[in-house]
Amino acid sequence: MSRRLVHVGIAFLAIYGLLFFRLEMIQIVGASSLKDHPQNTREITLNFDAPRGAIRTADGETIAQTVAVSGQRSRLRQYPYGSLYSHVVGFISAEHGGTGIERSHNDFLAGNDLAVRIQDNRDLFVDQARTGRLQLSLRHDVQLVTRAAMAGHLGAAVVMEPTTGSIWGMWSTPNFDPNHLSSHDLEAATTDFNALNSDDGQPLTSRVDYHSVEIGSLFTIVTAAAAIESDLNDLSVSVTTSFPGSQSSPAVTNSDGTACGGTIKSLMIDVCMSGWAAIGEKIGREPIQDVSKRLGLIGGDPVRIQNAPRGYLSPAKLNPSAPHAAVGTAMELTPLQVAHLFATIANSGSRIEPRLVEQVQAHDGSIIHNFEPNLLNQSLSKETAAELLRLLGENVENGRAQGLALSDIPVAGMSTSRFSGSNHLWAVALAPVTRPEVVVAVLLEGDGIDDQRTAEATVAAITRRIIEAVLRLSSPALGGS
Amino acid sequence: MNNQRIVELTLLLLAAFITLATVAVAAVAEGANITWACIPYLAVLLGLWGISHMSLRKWAPTANGLLFPIAALLQGLGLAFALRINPDLLLRHLVWSAVATAGFIAVLGGLRDLNQLRKFQTPLGLIGLLFISTPVILKLSDGKAGSSRSFNFGSVAIDPSHLGNLCLVIFFGAWLASYRSRNTAEHLGEAERLDGDPSRFVPLIGAWLVTSVMVIFQSDMSSAFVLIAIFLSMWWVAVGRPIDLAVFLAAAAGSVLLAVDSVSELQDRFAAWTDPWSNTEFGEVISRSSFALAGGGLTGTGPGEGSADWISGATDEFAFIPIAEELGFMGGAAVLSSYLLLAGVGLRLATTARKEFESLLAIGIAIFFASQAWAAIAVPLRLLPPSEISLPFVSSNGSALFTCIIALAFLLKISETVPNTSDRTEPFSRIAFKSRGTA
Repeated sequence: MSRRLVHVGIAFLAIYGLLFFRLEMIQIVGASSLKDHPQNTREITLNFDAPRGAIRTADGETIAQTVAVSGQRSRLRQYPYGSLYSHVVGFISAEHGGTGIERSHNDFLAGNDLAVRIQDNRDLFVDQARTGRLQLSLRHDVQLVTRAAMAGHLGAAVVMEPTTGSIWGMWSTPNFDPNHLSSHDLEAATTDFNALNSDDGQPLTSRVDYHSVEIGSLFTIVTAAAAIESDLNDLSVSVTTSFPGSQSSPAVTNSDGTACGGTIKSLMIDVCMSGWAAIGEKIGREPIQDVSKRLGLIGGDPVRIQNAPRGYLSPAKLNPSAPHAAVGTAMELTPLQVAHLFATIANSGSRIEPRLVEQVQAHDGSIIHNFEPNLLNQSLSKETAAELLRLLGENVENGRAQGLALSDIPVAGMSTSRFSGSNHLWAVALAPVTRPEVVVAVLLEGDGIDDQRTAEATVAAITRRIIEAVLRLSSPALGGS
Repeated sequence: MNNQRIVELTLLLLAAFITLATVAVAAVAEGANITWACIPYLAVLLGLWGISHMSLRKWAPTANGLLFPIAALLQGLGLAFALRINPDLLLRHLVWSAVATAGFIAVLGGLRDLNQLRKFQTPLGLIGLLFISTPVILKLSDGKAGSSRSFNFGSVAIDPSHLGNLCLVIFFGAWLASYRSRNTAEHLGEAERLDGDPSRFVPLIGAWLVTSVMVIFQSDMSSAFVLIAIFLSMWWVAVGRPIDLAVFLAAAAGSVLLAVDSVSELQDRFAAWTDPWSNTEFGEVISRSSFALAGGGLTGTGPGEGSADWISGATDEFAFIPIAEELGFMGGAAVLSSYLLLAGVGLRLATTARKEFESLLAIGIAIFFASQAWAAIAVPLRLLPPSEISLPFVSSNGSALFTCIIALAFLLKISETVPNTSDRTEPFSRIAFKSRGTA
């Protein structure tokens, strides 16, 4: 009777209390983490046909802009260079949110950022659609050179300026044309998106910063740094064809069965894996891990461009045994991380955060935000860095990376190939050796070349072509025109 | 003039103001496609409220003055959001509102005495069963997940399951009332008390079978929840045997476990419930709902500034999301409170109703509103697995709106028979269950 009616009332009060509680948990307590959720494309979808600032390269080319069109929606996002910048700017779509800078810098582009919205005193009273214009560190000429050099190959290439961390060029294939995804024809856009999304080649994923690949012998530069810091650079290891394994770890064998040894200089030139393993045992695991940590290779978040929240990268772990750690077993890095590692060496051991966006500008061109070069840490001492640079220069002059050499400018660099499972070819070049102005990292995938030497020659040739062209291009008149 | 009607008129004007203000604020928001063409629709809606109010004055002058304004506010909010999210729905929404108002007037004016309904107990029960099983039949004949719950006649979609629920509430109220009259002490001779009344197992088993069919063949946890909530509330108040409650709940839980173990669609729905982020068929709209709610925050984005286009079903089963997104936690809490208030008034009517049938009917309808709203809001808040259930009064699902307004008319009719001064007599005397020990 009425007491039992009260029971029913209390039961419903209780379950409604649950609703209030959940609503509060989602709307108030958990709101900020939900807003930053990688799948949350709400903001950018809301801004799909709102006024939106343009994106320009350092040398003044407009690579994304919003134009007025007639039709149900009055504005259309256009990417004049199509796929050339697909992995840099990303895209903005009514249904599928966005990627790249369009997403990571949405607040500036759409004018959600307070500094962008209120550009002068009048904006406090007049509701005008203010948007921010982005100026990138990317250079159109470098990007064109990179695309030309990579033509016909699968993989990624990064061109970086070591002293500022500015990315001058980044190219990744396969890619896509963002104009199709930002189209007002939503059905066609969805069809395109689904096709791209289900493609095995993952054209939507930027290989530059979201694709980790084993780096193989490239890691020995880190081992060399640890060796120099441990005062082992004059140590000479005996000449063998393989480093004996133990119960817990297999032997480290040289790839073509050659015997090698000596100091780290000759180990570098000969790509002597057995020798590096012996050095690794001498140094021990701790110093190698310590250097890797300082260089940002392990621990913490992997280096990304502007924290674009897409995909997930499992941080690579060093193999527990020291000899294997020394030869970089299981060390997986993205092309950006590789370029960043060598840029740090080139920049006398100062690790500068890679940057892609230099400025946010107001409607009249005045600067709202300036992203200055950001020094992360002094990873290596100046002396160690100089020693490493010398080693790399030696490697191009006399070693396995001779394919990187230019006729008139001394180049430092490394190249390697991995033929386990899928083919991965790496090459990194820094030039000029004395005071590097540019770092180029190239990753080629599955080129179908069976011969290791030919493969390394191919990747070296591409890298050389890029670095040669970039050095020839006159230093850019930065600031745009 | 009656006090209740003055309260009602004042609150109705407030509801009208809130509705119009929501539309007006949304209309000035950038990018919202609200045109002057919506003015006639709003005028017709307010006109319908006026007609309902006048008919209450004529046929039920002493009826409770809170019930109709709450329902009107929810209906107005629903229309205010629907006309922006999908203007094509407007005409259909309004036609259904007109039909519902006609039904409302028919119940108020045509039904002299609610006890007349008891005569149609059996046909109502059968119709109810048939109606609530139509989604199952449609689904089985269609044979695919997420298929339509409704009959489509051209552009008109009729989903009879809501009306089925209401028919079952009436049937069950009538059945329980006669069960009680057969079993309360003053009606029983000593011999009958000894034998007890085994007929009570019939509805227990029947309700268990119906909900099991819903869970297993329709994979619809929300509708099953609504049925169980209505059934158990009425059963507990009318019969009050804890053992029945426990056995029924255990049996229902058994059916759910069995279904989760063997029905793949229900497994998909449970997977989307526990982890909506991995974008399964049912998960995307849930995760988007969470993002939209998070975007709203405490005070909301403001009407017209939300992302309703992005959420499918934002005018029907997820109608709560745009409201809570654009009006914020405060708006969402206000909507939740409205349902609680509606249920509270209904339950209070049950304590004061003169006849047991009316009392039970009031409980059934109050819980019908409260549980249906709870289930509809619990889905996007991830308290129930994904399913499609309309939000009472708010959803632009016409047949649901129709059913809710008819149910509201019954509730108003009950409140009319109740004296405004609450008397403290207990409407339910204790049931005399036989106990062999004392015989």
